[in-house]
Amino acid sequence: MTATDTGERRRGSDARPLITDLIDEATVESIAQEAWVALVGEDEILVPLPGDAPVDPVSSWVDVVGPWTGSIVLTTGRRTAEELSRALLREASPEVLEEEDVVDAFGEIANVVGGNVKAALPGPSGLSLPEVGEAPAVRNPGDLCRIDVLWRGEPVSISVQGALPPLPTAP
Amino acid sequence: MKILVADDSRVMRQIVIRTLRQAGYDDHEIVEAEDGADALAKVGSESPDLVLSDWNMPNMTGIECLQALRASGSAVPFGFVTSEGSPEMREKAANAGALFLIAKPFNEETFQEALSGVIA
Repeated sequence: MTATDTGERRRGSDARPLITDLIDEATVESIAQEAWVALVGEDEILVPLPGDAPVDPVSSWVDVVGPWTGSIVLTTGRRTAEELSRALLREASPEVLEEEDVVDAFGEIANVVGGNVKAALPGPSGLSLPEVGEAPAVRNPGDLCRIDVLWRGEPVSISVQGALPPLPTAP
Repeated sequence: MKILVADDSRVMRQIVIRTLRQAGYDDHEIVEAEDGADALAKVGSESPDLVLSDWNMPNMTGIECLQALRASGSAVPFGFVTSEGSPEMREKAANAGALFLIAKPFNEETFQEALSGVIA
């Protein structure tokens, strides 16, 4: 029997989901709000309004590798990241906050938000340890779900962004 | 009663310990471990009555720690406190011998529900 290669299988495996098919802004906002209330404080509300671009921005993120591969990235100003860290540490917050404390606390918020975003995506997939620094670049603007919120009046963005560039379009 | 809290995030260890106290478990001795390998060693040296462990940690993950404990014959009660609470993770945790999986974010009620049958 002669097998005929219709290309079906190749096309099937080439098809990769975009984040906009898998999750929406309202879900990301709900996940973030729940994380804020549990980690930052009971009365800590995220207001879904875009603010000005943060001064001295810093990002924390985790990577998801699976049927959808990308990052969940939180970005805010450094002073806001420090304020968030103090809120998490509460009574254990030191007088002088070390960079290590900000990396730990701001990274942990990305870990919790990212873990819950991952749970809403098709699996199985892996989750990286959190990183803090300059945000990974958006590789495909079509593979992006982003919300902009204000926390204590300061801008925070949460971006669920694909790690891969767009596929070439069929001729 | 001695509880071992394993998480690579110092901040998260503090939040777990704070939540334990808020949930009413405030008279237990707490020991901290900063990754799975540290937790494995401290189960040996500290003999805790319960391990509360993160899943995703450097050096040794929480699930690897649990598997190593069970392989060595340790039956220490073990529960996960992790940001990943998917049904697959819960199944994997239960199959490895975990008593429960608390997904982050959590609150004192979540802790009470998970721990009520485990510690007094």
